[in-house]
Amino acid sequence: MRDWKNNLQKTRYVMDVLLFVIFLLVSAPQATGVPGHEWLSLFFIVPFVIHLLLHWDWIKQSAKRLFSSISLREKFNTVWNYLLYVIMLLATVSGFLVSVALLPSLSITVDIQDFWSKVHHDFSTLIMPMLGVHLALHWHWIINVSKRMFGKGVTS
Amino acid sequence: MKYLKKDWKFRSSILLIVSVLVSALLILLEMTDWAAQINLNGYSHGSDNEGKKDIPSFLMYVLPFVKELVLIGVPMFISLMLIKLLGKKR
Repeated sequence: MRDWKNNLQKTRYVMDVLLFVIFLLVSAPQATGVPGHEWLSLFFIVPFVIHLLLHWDWIKQSAKRLFSSISLREKFNTVWNYLLYVIMLLATVSGFLVSVALLPSLSITVDIQDFWSKVHHDFSTLIMPMLGVHLALHWHWIINVSKRMFGKGVTS
Repeated sequence: MKYLKKDWKFRSSILLIVSVLVSALLILLEMTDWAAQINLNGYSHGSDNEGKKDIPSFLMYVLPFVKELVLIGVPMFISLMLIKLLGKKR
């Protein structure tokens, strides 16, 4: 497990676990409080960008692959990833537009619209089942790398 | 973190530019009739103390995470079953 920095799959795994844990914290404003939720959301951008950077090659090829002869599952996975990215952006942007703690603490005032409150609530909730499907699509990878990370005597 | 360091400035810049452009497009949604309708009708998803009076305080911190795990876990389980079923059919 200590060698994770020298292995792309293991680096992705460690960073994805971190991303998932921060996502769970960010998505529970009832537990963290709204100011905690907003500051954590800002911090969440870092592991989210890391996740995208670690899948850079896939992103580069994805649009091209969409129109090539790949399996239906691969096509679905590609479209789903694009959708998840857009919904994640929508939840983040709408979150900034309804900020009551983060932006005011930076002396930035926003005129909060009910529309953005509803968009933020609805699409943030929608991300969770979408993430569930995303995890299911990569389940074999999760299991395989988990075994390599924690399996005794199994080397990378 | 050698995998992250590779061209990270260029790649992060591309991600930032694309994300800002997509976000700018998404902000245009507030000009739609959909947005106008919601702003006209108003929106609220429950007051701060709604339904919380009878709940033990520790549950107020635990339940949001249970809700998340259900909202993520159930669709994940259903998707895994579907993938398995579709895989068997082929």
